Amino acid sequence: MEKENPSVGNRRNFLIKLTSVVGGAGVAATCVPFVASMNPSSDVLAKAETDVDLSGIPPGGMHTVAWQGKPVFVLHRTPEQIKASAESNGGIDPEPDSKRVINPEWLVVVGVCTHMGCVPNKEGPGWECHCHGSQYDDSGRVVRGPAPKNLEVPPYRFAADNKIIIGKA
Amino acid sequence: MPSRIIEWIDQRFPLTSFVKHDLTDYPTPRNLSYWWNFGFLAGIVLVLQVATGIFLAMHYKADVAVSFDSIQHIMRDVNYGWLLRYMHATGASAFFFVIFIHMARTLYYGSYRAPRELLWWTGQGLLLLLMATAFMGYLLPWGQMSFWGATVITNLFRATPFIGDQVVIWLRGDYTVGDATLTRFFALHYLFPFLIIGGVLIHLVALHSVKSSNPSGIDLAAKDNIPFHPYFTIKDLYGLGVFLIVYSVFVFFMPDSLIEPANNIPANPMQTPNHIVPEWYFLPFYAILRSVPNMVGGVVAMGLSVMMFAFMPFLDRSRIPGGARYRPLYRLQYYLFLLDMLVLGYVGYVHPTDQTILVGQIATLCYFASFFFVPFISKMEERWLIKRGLPAEVVTLMKSESLEIEKRKLKHSRHNGVKS
Amino acid sequence: MNAFLKIAVLCSFSVYAWSSEVKLEKVTLENDVPAIERGAETLMNACHSCHGMKYIKYRDLLTFGMNKQKVDGWRADQSLDAPLLAQMSENDAMLAFAKVPPDLSLMTKARDGGVNYLYSYLLGYYTTAEGVTGNHIFPETKMPDPLGISGAATPEQRTEIQGQARDIVSFLAWAADPHEAERIRLGYYVIAYLLALTTLLYFVKKQIWSRLK
Repeated sequence: MEKENPSVGNRRNFLIKLTSVVGGAGVAATCVPFVASMNPSSDVLAKAETDVDLSGIPPGGMHTVAWQGKPVFVLHRTPEQIKASAESNGGIDPEPDSKRVINPEWLVVVGVCTHMGCVPNKEGPGWECHCHGSQYDDSGRVVRGPAPKNLEVPPYRFAADNKIIIGKA
Repeated sequence: MPSRIIEWIDQRFPLTSFVKHDLTDYPTPRNLSYWWNFGFLAGIVLVLQVATGIFLAMHYKADVAVSFDSIQHIMRDVNYGWLLRYMHATGASAFFFVIFIHMARTLYYGSYRAPRELLWWTGQGLLLLLMATAFMGYLLPWGQMSFWGATVITNLFRATPFIGDQVVIWLRGDYTVGDATLTRFFALHYLFPFLIIGGVLIHLVALHSVKSSNPSGIDLAAKDNIPFHPYFTIKDLYGLGVFLIVYSVFVFFMPDSLIEPANNIPANPMQTPNHIVPEWYFLPFYAILRSVPNMVGGVVAMGLSVMMFAFMPFLDRSRIPGGARYRPLYRLQYYLFLLDMLVLGYVGYVHPTDQTILVGQIATLCYFASFFFVPFISKMEERWLIKRGLPAEVVTLMKSESLEIEKRKLKHSRHNGVKS
Repeated sequence: MNAFLKIAVLCSFSVYAWSSEVKLEKVTLENDVPAIERGAETLMNACHSCHGMKYIKYRDLLTFGMNKQKVDGWRADQSLDAPLLAQMSENDAMLAFAKVPPDLSLMTKARDGGVNYLYSYLLGYYTTAEGVTGNHIFPETKMPDPLGISGAATPEQRTEIQGQARDIVSFLAWAADPHEAERIRLGYYVIAYLLALTTLLYFVKKQIWSRLK
């Protein structure tokens, strides 16, 4: 074997390298369907939108609806709540109220505490999370830790004056 | 750096010596034909089945109310779920296809002969495990064929003496095949592949102790052996490429050809389909079951028909090496046996009529007769061949083999002597 | 040896007996969106009152590319994620036919003969001189002639009904295996790749084995 002429050796080397690369690519491509199968299936993705009828929520009242399996708080704010929210800028994660609502009468936030994922309770003005004591105001902004961020505002749009659709169009 | 890591490992774990002993220095007969590829292929199919199976189990639900629906969920909604399921369903057939060829090769070349009996028997055990796994997996889609197949096969255990009915109820956990049966079959269908993996390791340890047989039928001198790696790794990989092409044709272009139409109808315990057949790989054994008019007799015959192969090392009395290669009578017998298997498979598939039952009974007799006559034919054939004069190469092979046996015996007794 | 001869003779007999079953008409399916949409429309009119398709949702029809107005018309006030259940309840069906009409989601896979069987069955209705309607593919059927083939008087009518049957079967074939087109497309790539890889492996094998001389 040692006596071979070097060009033959190079060609062999190249052929083996090429085959290894092609074969390796095939193994990698085979992994794709396996990994993809663990992503949400199409029937789960189809549930990406939730319709909410607002007509039954009195001022000051709140409904919790499920969107993608998560609770979403829909709060019908009173003029006082709107005013209080507009005056403050939140605390730990400052953000103006106007950026968090489409229509100031309606606050729509994902009801999952940004700390460790518990569901906060509506208590007094705003919400309090019983897991670790985080507090949020009536704009869903965190006013006391340990939560690092304000409650997330999901994508939603008004289909009519009294109907919103939560989720991407 | 890599060499230092390997050194570090080698001080704690026999990595280099393992690779040397079992790959780069593992002596393999250079005359192995492509029929010796199928053991490796079986290993690959096992890996494919375990991989697709685990990912399917993430979406499958074992409950009579939703099992059928969950399969449709996999086929329609899960990303590439259809691919995983078709790979798994086709893989079951591919597994048996590969294993049957692996066994047929062993029988043709007499690879079961001394000193490879244990290798052959561990393989026989793996076949039983594979059959059990396939059978339990077949219930999981909860279609009509699943249900009635499981009903019939669990009923086989009624043939158990004295406690037959209790055994059947115990197996099912219910008076019929029901929710309890489905759940336990799922649990065991998930467990058994790991037992198979364990069995394969034992099979490989046995193989690497006695080394591969080869078409000439006896152990070769050292000069005829070449290292497994790279020669047989590349030969096995090339064979794998060819196999995967055939497998992919089935998976992508005709996946439903291996699924009975009736299994696309949800299980209905109130109505048996008109034509119930097992999967193709069980057909010959199923035909033997149907051919015996007595229930217990049929079950015993079917069980025996699977186990007959294990007796081959005792039945084959010939000292002529090379299996069917140098033995015209054995070769004839071998091909007739394959033909008989095909006839049995056909009989197992068709709706039983007077004709096919008769054919099945004759074929069943031929099946067992083929084994029964092996000792007499092999001995007779040996005498005849020796009288006629063996080719010089065979004589040399036989001499070196008997020498080899003597040496092994000597070594063994010396080894024992030292111990005591 | 004699026994095998006998077996061979008997086998050929059984094959003969086997092939004497009812001949199915062969159908060539169309798998483009308009044909399958036509099939869906005919099915919604002729079959959907009794037969459901529980594994198909109205949304699946939209995703496949069918006309939104048509789909909205079929679903009326049902949600897009509702399955295509039969309009008739199972109880009413039991009263009417003493049997629940089977779900059609997997029908082309659930019968021996597949699409050809369904096509032949839909066109298999006839009327005797006494005015009794029957079906020569499935004589025990309880389903009345859905497309009116038994009453077709002119060849034009027959051709039209054949077209309807073909569309329905095309739709059912899609419904039973919605990923078929994707599967076959992917299949060509996979086979092409494997052929290339196997060719490479063959040459590598040849080269490595050429070291042994």
